[in-house]
Amino acid sequence: MSRSQGPSSLKRKRPEPAHGHGGALIEHEKVLYDLICSKQSMGIWIGDMKRETKYPDNVVTKSLKALQARGLIKLVEHYQNKGKKFYLSKDFEPSKELTGGNWYSDGKLDREYISTLKGFCARMIQKMKVATIEGIVDAFKKSGASKVDLSREQIEEIVNALVLDNEVMEVKSTGAGEFDFIPVGKICYKSYAKGVKGEPKTGAMASTPCGVCPRINHCTPNGIISPRTCVYYTKWLEF
Amino acid sequence: MASTQYGIKYAVHIITAHFGNLVAKVCETLLRRGPLTLRLLIRFTELSSSQINNSLLILIQHNCVQAFTAVTEGEFGDAPKADTQYLALFSNILHRMRFSKFLAIASEKLEKDKDCEELLEGLLQNGRLSMEQIIERAKSSKHAGNRPIPDVVNESLLKLLNAHFVERCPAPEPTLSPQVEEQPPPRKRGAKAAKVSEVPPTLEQRLVESARPMEVIRFSIGETNTEAEESEHYSSISGQKRKRGDLDMIQESGDADGIILWRANFDEFIRCLRHKACIEHVRSQFDDGAVNVLSAILEATRSSEKIVKTEITVPLSLENIYEEVMKNEVGRSMTLDRVEASLSALGCSGMEDYKINLQKIIEQAQIDEVESIVLKRYGRDAYRMFRFLSKTGGLVETEKISDSAFVDKNEAPKILYRLWKDEYLYMEKVAITVPRYSLCLLWRVDRYNLWEHVLDEMYHASLNLQLRQAYEMEQDKELLNLPPDKRGGPLEKRYNRLRNVRILLESSLLKLDDALMLFHDF
Ligand code: SF4
Repeated sequence: MSRSQGPSSLKRKRPEPAHGHGGALIEHEKVLYDLICSKQSMGIWIGDMKRETKYPDNVVTKSLKALQARGLIKLVEHYQNKGKKFYLSKDFEPSKELTGGNWYSDGKLDREYISTLKGFCARMIQKMKVATIEGIVDAFKKSGASKVDLSREQIEEIVNALVLDNEVMEVKSTGAGEFDFIPVGKICYKSYAKGVKGEPKTGAMASTPCGVCPRINHCTPNGIISPRTCVYYTKWLEF
Repeated sequence: MASTQYGIKYAVHIITAHFGNLVAKVCETLLRRGPLTLRLLIRFTELSSSQINNSLLILIQHNCVQAFTAVTEGEFGDAPKADTQYLALFSNILHRMRFSKFLAIASEKLEKDKDCEELLEGLLQNGRLSMEQIIERAKSSKHAGNRPIPDVVNESLLKLLNAHFVERCPAPEPTLSPQVEEQPPPRKRGAKAAKVSEVPPTLEQRLVESARPMEVIRFSIGETNTEAEESEHYSSISGQKRKRGDLDMIQESGDADGIILWRANFDEFIRCLRHKACIEHVRSQFDDGAVNVLSAILEATRSSEKIVKTEITVPLSLENIYEEVMKNEVGRSMTLDRVEASLSALGCSGMEDYKINLQKIIEQAQIDEVESIVLKRYGRDAYRMFRFLSKTGGLVETEKISDSAFVDKNEAPKILYRLWKDEYLYMEKVAITVPRYSLCLLWRVDRYNLWEHVLDEMYHASLNLQLRQAYEMEQDKELLNLPPDKRGGPLEKRYNRLRNVRILLESSLLKLDDALMLFHDF
């Protein structure tokens, strides 16, 4: 399990002085640079810059080019809106709003990475029988499974996703039996008993074609879409 | 929960299949318009009064319609007006699809008593029967042994009455007071389900309640003679003690000759099926120990259940429960410790006597059914987001949902939109003006409306299953009429396919009906 870059969206790097990159900034550049810096990790879209400074297009474009050439600012694409470019001061990492967040790489949710982590956490919880979040974090750290340091919050996010997947149960400690030594009322995580999968067994409705049918709202007894002519049924009734 | 659009269509389909178009037309009119007088029925259906009368007789005979006297205050100082109205009993119509389940329950609980089964079957088929009619039926049956038939019938009826599987028919035409008009159906569910019992009853519930004979009489075989006794038979919850005059009406409209009519007690069967559903749900979540313990508790508390939808079982001590578990062969291997552990798994704290929240189990079973639809129809990402919203309960914005449920932010809005469009989610748009104007979408699982929507889809699916079955059988009609020896070669293959089709459709319908009950009756 490795990842080239740790999630550190808000980490501020050592600020570099604005001068020393080939002379002082000219007036327009200075105003634009200050504006960009003031937005910190959120960055600012070129359209908004034009609106706020009321500079003509060519001035803004030229100044931004100059600032970029000096290495003072950088360009980030919005994860949802490719092509919508945001300018950030070199000193800031792009925010979650721009990149999508910790679990995103190249503007996409890093499913593979997440599912590896999920599988790992699920196995740990199964081994521990009943686990608290602290226990899981501890075990995670000790295992050295991830080269990247994950924060407690991040591990908690992963465990919560497992709960939503219904792969592990969230239960409150009763302080007795399997919850010995765990304070009463504390949230714990548990695997499902062997043979019982958490995920609901396919229900009665979901086992019929109509239960999973995307057209059910358009289907009527004598309409164009009807149970008599339905292809989903025809397929289901192939023997 | 009120009957939905497809609920009515499904009910009408059932009545059409069993009693034909005329009866179905009358029934549909009542289902769509609510209770009507004969005069209005004639106007709306444009049928003749004798056609309507006959249809009503059939529907009443089969417990699908209840007549009542509605008293309305007289205007301008006139005397109060009383007229006869007819109300279709939606739940009872759907029960017609469950007769095989009812028979199986009775057979199981009465240790396969053939005479009882036959009697009950007769009642289910005919709706209502008098003692004389029951005896007539028994005489023509091949099962008659050496004993005198009236004795056998009497004994069977007694057994069925003791088990509450059979009851006396309700009053033919109770009076409903004018003050309480029909209430709108309750608008809250789920979290507030605990308060359901405080919700004013629907017209159907009030009517059924006031037509029902009092508990002692309802399940007693004895003849009643005195008028004074008779007047106590029918309890009235409409707030008014029944007056003499109403009683005369009851006498006139059916009971006049003192003939007692018997029918199957649907409530008892539904209660049994509800218990079964609870046990099945627990089986899907826990081990056998929990199943044994729950079965034992249900068995021990059954006699104290007065209503179908018992919310919480009456408290039992650990000793009582253990004793009951031991009565059962499968439970005999359990130690006291294990029983206690199972109780704790079922959510009993053990601080005091043990009671099980049945309503919670039913709710969880409902949630599972809905989540399974979401998973199958909309996929895993949708499933996770739906569960997140379900758990959170309140309105949540798109971004937060995709973050918490680990769904790609480019995908999440599309999936949420689909769920909303199909009425699985509730959505609210909120305008944000700071830092600049934008629209923010908030989403929520609206349990009450969603449950009603899912129920409607289930009625729709049941109807579709039946329509498709009718179509398949119609397609291969000639095949079904072929004698077995002519079914060789390629015909045999087609015949086998048809048989498999029928088995699959029928078993799916029965299972779907279990789910229907989960949402409508339990
Ligand atoms: S009959 Fe076919 S088209 Fe209609 S709802 Fe069912 S599966 Fe969908």
